[in-house]
Amino acid sequence: MKNRILVVEDDTAISELICMNLTVAGYDTEALFDGKEVEALLKTDREFDLALLDVMLPGKDGFELMELMKEAKIPVIYLTAKSDVGSKIKGLRSGAEDYIVKPFEVLELLVRVEKVLERTGRQISRITVGTVEINLNEHQVTRDGQEVSLKPLEYDLLVLLAKNKNMAFTREQLLNQVWGSDYLGETRTVDVHIGQLRKKLELFDVIKTIPKIGYRLED
Amino acid sequence: MKLWKKISLLTAVVLFLAMGIFGGGMLYETWKYNLNQTVSSYQQQIKVNAYVIAQEINNNPLSRFSEVTRKSFLNYTVQKYGGTDYILLKNGKEVVNLTGYMLVSGEEKRFSGSDPEYVLQKTENRHLLVMGQVLKTEKKGNLKFQLILVKDISGIYEEMAKQMWLFILVYLVVIFFAVDIVFWLVRMVLKPLTELENTAGAISRGDWQRRCRVRRNDEIGKVSVAFNRMADKMEEQMEELETVSEHRRQLLGSLTHELKTPMTSIIGYSDTLLHVKISEEQQKKALEHINSECRRLERLSGKMMTLIGLYDEDRIHKEPYPVEKLIQEVADLERYHMQDSGMELQIYSESWEYRMDVDLMESLLVNLLDNAIKASEEGSVIELHGEKGCIWVQDHGKGIPKEEIPKITEAFYMVDKSRSRKAGGIGMGLALCQKIAEIHGARLLIESTVGVGTRICVIFQEEN
Repeated sequence: MKNRILVVEDDTAISELICMNLTVAGYDTEALFDGKEVEALLKTDREFDLALLDVMLPGKDGFELMELMKEAKIPVIYLTAKSDVGSKIKGLRSGAEDYIVKPFEVLELLVRVEKVLERTGRQISRITVGTVEINLNEHQVTRDGQEVSLKPLEYDLLVLLAKNKNMAFTREQLLNQVWGSDYLGETRTVDVHIGQLRKKLELFDVIKTIPKIGYRLED
Repeated sequence: MKLWKKISLLTAVVLFLAMGIFGGGMLYETWKYNLNQTVSSYQQQIKVNAYVIAQEINNNPLSRFSEVTRKSFLNYTVQKYGGTDYILLKNGKEVVNLTGYMLVSGEEKRFSGSDPEYVLQKTENRHLLVMGQVLKTEKKGNLKFQLILVKDISGIYEEMAKQMWLFILVYLVVIFFAVDIVFWLVRMVLKPLTELENTAGAISRGDWQRRCRVRRNDEIGKVSVAFNRMADKMEEQMEELETVSEHRRQLLGSLTHELKTPMTSIIGYSDTLLHVKISEEQQKKALEHINSECRRLERLSGKMMTLIGLYDEDRIHKEPYPVEKLIQEVADLERYHMQDSGMELQIYSESWEYRMDVDLMESLLVNLLDNAIKASEEGSVIELHGEKGCIWVQDHGKGIPKEEIPKITEAFYMVDKSRSRKAGGIGMGLALCQKIAEIHGARLLIESTVGVGTRICVIFQEEN
């Protein structure tokens, strides 16, 4: 089962960009281009785990849509070109979970989406990668039904890669996300842990080394 | 030194000298007149006395008198007529001297005329008038008598000195008050200059609304008027400049905002291509998006350059140009575009000329036609008419909602954002048109009804 995300963005290029990346990372997306369309859609379909809203929309703007989202109990991340503090405050005060300013990096968008899903408890509890299944609630990893014991950092690393399937991470990004930004270790540490994961879970073909960039978990 | 001090001092010095010279001259003349009066009155006196004494000498047989008798006779005679002021000489020898003065020998030669001669002498602290003449004593033959008057006239000099001191006192008092008055007057006269200075200072500190109060019609008043006029003009130009820079700032603001959308796409898609495993089909799509967004940026920068260029009046060359020719040229330019979109262009023009920059006017009309094409359905008719004083473009497309009309000439404003973007619009066309119209002393009049169509008139307000 996948998380379902509503993308409301009037610029088709950006809308497609977001949907493309969310889909690749393992989410279902629904793209809308107009504020009024959202209103119409929510009357019949409210099964969204998250909404990415552009603030400046034709029809009804992002701030106006907030009420509908609250009613439908859909957490909102604003996505906007307005970078001034006033707009950010207005966005967050109105009840948005997060606020992303354009232009944004795809990875940032994915991480923020993931964090919001985590925070609002809508994150799916199981991720499968081939024969490997990760139970996020119980912190349990099984391969072919057999439990595999992983060290905490190995587990965190696996979860990060699995949640962002097909997304390449640099070693620095992995260090930052898993070990924390204040960790002063070398990027070799990442290589060692990746090696452990590959061995323990037999994911040699799945966790790929991308030359000059880093690692990527592919389906 | 300050101007008021300079003027006051100069005036004071001139006043001081003029009054001094005039007063001194007057005083001197008065003194000379007094002296002359005194001298001439004594001249009358000596003449009379000389006459009567000569008579006495002629009528008496002096040679028959004894020495003592003669002497007392002469003594008596001189005293009788002249009092104690006279000396009588006989052949250059003193015979009678009733004065307290000695006659220096040789001095008598001065007084050998038959009319009275005089000298003024100063002894110690006394001023003496010495005057003498020869007596007419024909009957006495070779005897030569001279009568000499010695008179102390110090009184005249004392009077003179008194008057001089009085004059100096009055002079100083008058000068003192006069200088005060001059200083005060000059300050009063120059006071508006101080106000002018204060006003100029205030203006240079940014208080643009400050003006001088003009109360007079003299040179300073005129300077104030001229100054105020200059300040008005400057304020006007400042405001103009501010408007222009405000306009540019807004433009820049909208531009950065407008840049962000294509940038987001370009960064996002390239990021995806670099980091994410996506299918080949998706890769192609991403590249297409990057390509089209880059083109959009290019169009945007081109339009921006044009718009900014329009603020640079040096690059605008206006010349009289026939409007019907302009319309024909624009129609030729747009013909293929219209055929592609399956629309028909109808043109009509009266024959008239207008001073214009042909390139700019062409781009204005092309812009209006492009907008009309975007708004129209396939198969509809677009009209381009040039009547005297007005060129208009009429379409029969979807129209513009009434409340949107005032906003559509703002840069980056789009009535239907997603649709305009699909058609390649960047929301700058009408802003450009507006600016071009402005340059030609024209304005845009937009009439539109939703669902019926839009007519945009370029109305030339002034014959330039």
